[in-house]
Amino acid sequence: MANLWKNPIANWGVKEEVDNAPTIPWTSPIKPWIETVKAKQKLYKVGRLRYYYKFPGHGARTWHRWRYPFTRRRILNIRGEYNAKSLRREKTILDRRPVYWVLSFLAMLMAPLFMPVSFESTLLNAGAVFFIYAAINLCWTLVIGTAGIFSLASMAIVGAGAYGAAYLSLTHGLPWWSLPMVGSVIGLVFGILIALPATRLEGFYYALLTLGLVELCRVYVIQSRTFGSATGGVYGADSYLPDGISELSELTISYYVCFVVMLVVLFMFRFIQGKRLGRILRMAPEKREAFAEATGVNYRWARIQVFIITSVVLGALGGVYASHFHGASPSLFSMDAVLLGLAMLVIGGIGRSEGAVFGTLVVVIIDKVFIEWGPLRLILIGLIMLLVVLFLKGGVFGIKQQFRAWRNKKKSENRSTRAEKGGEMLPEEATETHDKDQIFMRRFDKMQRDYLKTLVTEEIIEEHKRSPLGQHSEPLERLLTYFRRQPQSDKYAIVAIELYKSYRIIAMSGQRGVPPRVVEDKIYTSETEAYHAVFMRRVQDLLES
Amino acid sequence: MDIDIGFVAITAVTLACIYGTLAIGVSITWSSLGLINMSYGFTFATSGYGAWLVSEYISSSGPVVILGGILTGALVGVLVCAVAFIPIHDKPNFTVRGLIASLALSLIGTQALLYFFGPQSKTLPPLFGDWELELGEVVLTADKGGAILTSILMLTLALWWMRSSRRGLEIRAMMMNPHAASLVGIGVRRTGFYVMALTGGLAGLASVLLSQTYFVSPFSGVTPLIKGLSVALCGGLGSVGGAMIAAVMIGVNEALTADILGGQYILITQFLLIILVLIIRPRGIAGILDKQREA
Repeated sequence: MANLWKNPIANWGVKEEVDNAPTIPWTSPIKPWIETVKAKQKLYKVGRLRYYYKFPGHGARTWHRWRYPFTRRRILNIRGEYNAKSLRREKTILDRRPVYWVLSFLAMLMAPLFMPVSFESTLLNAGAVFFIYAAINLCWTLVIGTAGIFSLASMAIVGAGAYGAAYLSLTHGLPWWSLPMVGSVIGLVFGILIALPATRLEGFYYALLTLGLVELCRVYVIQSRTFGSATGGVYGADSYLPDGISELSELTISYYVCFVVMLVVLFMFRFIQGKRLGRILRMAPEKREAFAEATGVNYRWARIQVFIITSVVLGALGGVYASHFHGASPSLFSMDAVLLGLAMLVIGGIGRSEGAVFGTLVVVIIDKVFIEWGPLRLILIGLIMLLVVLFLKGGVFGIKQQFRAWRNKKKSENRSTRAEKGGEMLPEEATETHDKDQIFMRRFDKMQRDYLKTLVTEEIIEEHKRSPLGQHSEPLERLLTYFRRQPQSDKYAIVAIELYKSYRIIAMSGQRGVPPRVVEDKIYTSETEAYHAVFMRRVQDLLES
Repeated sequence: MDIDIGFVAITAVTLACIYGTLAIGVSITWSSLGLINMSYGFTFATSGYGAWLVSEYISSSGPVVILGGILTGALVGVLVCAVAFIPIHDKPNFTVRGLIASLALSLIGTQALLYFFGPQSKTLPPLFGDWELELGEVVLTADKGGAILTSILMLTLALWWMRSSRRGLEIRAMMMNPHAASLVGIGVRRTGFYVMALTGGLAGLASVLLSQTYFVSPFSGVTPLIKGLSVALCGGLGSVGGAMIAAVMIGVNEALTADILGGQYILITQFLLIILVLIIRPRGIAGILDKQREA
């Protein structure tokens, strides 16, 4: 800092005031301030502040909410509040997922309009496959995530439904609209059969058993003559497409049909996950079944119910599959189909509808659009799946939550490592204190004392000794201002025993009616000497603190 | 209908030996690491290719090829451990994530095999020479006899190693209680590598022995994986004795079914048998309770 201390009241014409007082070099107080307020840990731009758009609400609109017809359920979870500063009425959409869902539905609806002409058939085909697989995965994520039954047989149920429907359509000439019904009956039978061991077996025993069942189905279908061991599947099922239309409109129609199928399954998902069954099952996650049972929740029955409902839907999807692909092939039961399905679930996050749909989108894009990559694309899918499993707890849609949890952990780690105690409050003390201002005052005081300690030098003490009163250089002035600002308790004062002859240092009690105490026996012969002695005591206290 | 008891018995014993080798690997991995190793099929297929490479480029003598298979299997086991066990074994939800990670590994691995070696299957040279042994009316071919002898020998060696060596003691401690094992200073990660190398070696052995039945191909691992898993499941995950009993049961069942009903019913009767066993004893024949594995 500059070596010249401008006296702010010199211009006021006070007598004997000097313009300035020379100072020794000293550090500016802004440096420790900047050092203190600077964040100690790395700050990330992502997720620092939750940003919500505030919609205005006024008059009758204040309390208006959109609701589903004939119910009291709201479409959007909106919180109304008054802005503390402007006192305006504001509305905040707390859960924006419905908005994103509607936007993505719109995108899916409009997508065929914007597809490049050269890729149109590939993309429309991939889109239809995406919708069907998304529907299957929604059911599967319901079984694994919501019901907590680690079943790998979902594709097998679809396959059974598809085979049965295709076979009946081929032999009995069933029309296309009856295929999902046939499929759902097959799915029901299959679901009950597979659900039976689920009542006894737990966790991985069940997973391995279902995997075995898939393999059993595959081997059976490959060897069975009725199910086309020679032709590699059953083909020739009735299609829902009308005859005699161009290939492009066929693809477009099937795109939209599959889209509607996915919407129906999404509704089913919502009606299981968001209603009574879903609540019961969220009450009884893995390893907390005993608690749920103790509170009277029959979670086993709920799980089986979910399993059977989804099996019926999966069977119906098998019928749709048979109608869409004009038949069924053994690849439905292959290990790769199970693996790809699981990859779809895992990438998005198990147990979430958006996860199932997003994961399916990723995998289908890689698998169906980049066909010329050959085996490499499956390797890529496997790699994505592996990375997601290794690093993410809940798939892509769990990143937000996981990041928040991680950041909070880091925060609390940093808080607990900051155990340096210099009058500052430790975290435990700070949470107990009623007056939170105290926390910041004491933190600031500590910073200030640390700074002032750096100002104490031989020159300053010498300067004070020369003239305890009057204009001083800036560091000395800062020290004295701090000392003067201290509270009354234990503040030093000078008492004149005999004017101009003997002085003594006392310390204030800080309490009304309690007399000050004598600090030392030493008698000072002049006022100046006593002033300096008080200064020295305060400096000593500062350096010791 | 007359059943050729001698033939059935020999087939049953051969199958029991090979399935036992597979199932014990699955079982040990599960009970000591808590990992359901779904990439066992990948280990199986890769060690088949390892053995094939050895027979092509180094030597086609039986023991060398078997050794090549075992070493490849152990190597792949270590790889699986490094990728699917080490990074997540202390993370929440490890069992599910480990299962999925090993499935992902097997997806990547089989596709990589397909990419490098192509879809045609390879055949290994006959490993045990060309001889026949007549036991009364029954003819023991070199293939089966060698398989029985080798797998019994290797299993005995592996189990003896687990019983008597320091590392085996560590693995057995991990099987009893992983938490307590880590408390007394047994490194979970290091033991993980031993376990996976051992079980990978067993898978490699089974792969070479089965190479006459399931030719070496990228997807040859699926059926043995399912068989190994179901035998381990039937015997009770985590129990070596149970796995042996289950292997004998499944082997007898398979040989009988093939002889009486025909080959295409093997899987059906096998699963009926397993479901029956599991309905009577939900943790398998000698399975430990899940509570014991927790922590």
